[in-house]
Amino acid sequence: MTTPPVRPPLVRSSDRVIAGVCAGLANHLGWPVRMVRIGMLVAALAGGAGVAFYGWLWIMVPTADESARRSARRPASPIAPAVSAPDMPGTPEIPGTPGVPGSPESAGSAEAAGRARQGSWRSKVPGMPFGKEILLGAGLLLAAGILIARLLGVDVPLGTLIPVAAILGGAAIAWMQLDETRRAGLVDKTKADQAGGWARLAAGLALVVAGVLVMVSGSGSWEATWLALLASVAVLGGVALVLLPWGLKFWRDLETERAGRVRATERAEIAAHLHDSVLQTLALIQRRAGNEHDVIRLARAQERELRGWLYRDADKESGQLSEGIEAAAAEVEDTLGHAVEVVSVGDCVMTQRHEALVQAAREAMLNAARHGGGTVSVYLEVTDDAAEVFVKDRGPGFDPESVPPDRLGVRESIIGRMNRHGGTAAIISSPDGTEVRLRLPVTAAASAGTAAAAANNSNGEAKP
Amino acid sequence: MTIPAPGDPVTGNPAPVNPAAGNPSPIRVVIVDDHAIFRSGLKADLDPDIVVAGEAGTVEEAIAVIAARRPDVVLLDVHLPGGRGGGGREVLAGSAPLLATTRFLALSVSDAAEDVVSVIRAGARGYVTKTISGPEISGAVRRVAGGDAVFSPRLAGFVLDAFGTAPADIADDELDRLSARELEVMRLIARGYSYKEVAKELFISIKTVETHVSAVLRKLQLSSRHELTRWAAERRLL
Repeated sequence: MTTPPVRPPLVRSSDRVIAGVCAGLANHLGWPVRMVRIGMLVAALAGGAGVAFYGWLWIMVPTADESARRSARRPASPIAPAVSAPDMPGTPEIPGTPGVPGSPESAGSAEAAGRARQGSWRSKVPGMPFGKEILLGAGLLLAAGILIARLLGVDVPLGTLIPVAAILGGAAIAWMQLDETRRAGLVDKTKADQAGGWARLAAGLALVVAGVLVMVSGSGSWEATWLALLASVAVLGGVALVLLPWGLKFWRDLETERAGRVRATERAEIAAHLHDSVLQTLALIQRRAGNEHDVIRLARAQERELRGWLYRDADKESGQLSEGIEAAAAEVEDTLGHAVEVVSVGDCVMTQRHEALVQAAREAMLNAARHGGGTVSVYLEVTDDAAEVFVKDRGPGFDPESVPPDRLGVRESIIGRMNRHGGTAAIISSPDGTEVRLRLPVTAAASAGTAAAAANNSNGEAKP
Repeated sequence: MTIPAPGDPVTGNPAPVNPAAGNPSPIRVVIVDDHAIFRSGLKADLDPDIVVAGEAGTVEEAIAVIAARRPDVVLLDVHLPGGRGGGGREVLAGSAPLLATTRFLALSVSDAAEDVVSVIRAGARGYVTKTISGPEISGAVRRVAGGDAVFSPRLAGFVLDAFGTAPADIADDELDRLSARELEVMRLIARGYSYKEVAKELFISIKTVETHVSAVLRKLQLSSRHELTRWAAERRLL
């Protein structure tokens, strides 16, 4: 699989002087940032082409955050298995089935992409740490230059310059605001952001209005300015009155469209998941239709995966004992193609000792699936003083006493393991089936005293 | 052609009434499931003494068919299209006047707690998953028709989870906790024991096991127990 070198996507970098356009462009093209910036400056001097280009990129190119969010929402396309591969633990893991070709490579490429992204973050040197200060300084220098020029007798058209500067400043503030809202609006619309946005918009508006007024009224008397202001406010009010319903409708349409888009992305996510899991499994099943064992195994694995996806509890914390037992059951199902039903009541955080319980339970499930018939039932109950696991099958049963001492499965992996960790194990077998009962008290200290008694008890249970 | 018309209802009427009233041996069931493939598969799986009196694929159809046919047992899928989106629960609510004579057995592919417990609390007499085998489903239908409850291991697990695994105190409201014996029965069912095996294990008769299970079902349906409501709320029930 030879992939052409992948360019990092064109996004506005967070390492920025104005809007991160140059840094993003440099990252995308693989050129040094300084070169791009100088080039942009030179182009800007050439009749403002650079400025236009910069502005265009500013508007059209998303920031790194936006882009990441967008691509995270976008469903994994069939040609990009790298994105979806980690989400489908069910299918490729099944031993004996032709794994999805290229999953190692794709994992590798995902990793590489991650590294590249990390690299771009690491190369993030604060380009101009005092950008604002420098800007302010430049402004002051300009003002000083103008003043000196006036003192020297050069006729500077202040009457035009100041309003123009005000208009430009106001517009800049408003446009930055657009950028900010785009970013903030996508993250979350917190009140603070909104308030800041409004303040900025108001400031920008005031500056522009003042500039225009001064310019129009020809920097004349206050009276003229005042009148003009009154007139323009009246006109603005009238326009607002007329446009308000239209604006509201537009806003509402925007909201509905946004909601629709959210629904569409959700739908696309579901489609992507179904494609990656269910459709793949169905394809595999069709190919192995002749092998009943494989078909059952695939169907079970897919069912489990889909169930986990549909009914997963978002609040449920990971690393729980029930999870360990379910994982063991899944493993047994996958290796032996035998249905294992897990029912759990109560739960607790998995500890080292619970690990032993899970291992013993896994061994019991393996035995049950190998020798028993029908569904293997696993029941986990966690109470305040102990964790218990019951593994039941419906096989012909066997005599626990007659198991030869060299058979490690039962004696060592189940009974021995439980005893070593302060728990007990009992095996009850009858012609209707076999049940393995495992019990692990909560504290090792409490179990030490009762271990002997419990062991006796378990023997007593096993014998009759 | 016009002359025999008045006679038709006379000869036709007794036919639908008879099996419900007189003959108790064949169990009449209505299958409610939106998948025709599943319905036909289930029909083929049922034992010959279980007669399929009707089928329905949506909530409205189901309520109409159940009211018209008055079956002994309704095999009810939890997830159904139609109605106001309530699925199986809505069918149960719509058939509330018939609950005394018609028993409902919930069937589902979902093993989510809220689905299971909400249909039980709406009045279903049992819950089984769709992966159940032919003989097992026939047995479950007979048990439900006989007025008993059918608990799958998973449902028993939910009950234990909801009611807690500690036995009842005397002071507790009778509805709010399971007795020690009921707990034992529930635990064994959760462990995969059949009623027969439970009876053998506890040295009691199968009838007694059935009584215990029915008592648990009643508690599950009627209890307003604090933990149950909290448990349900956590799983976005009620």
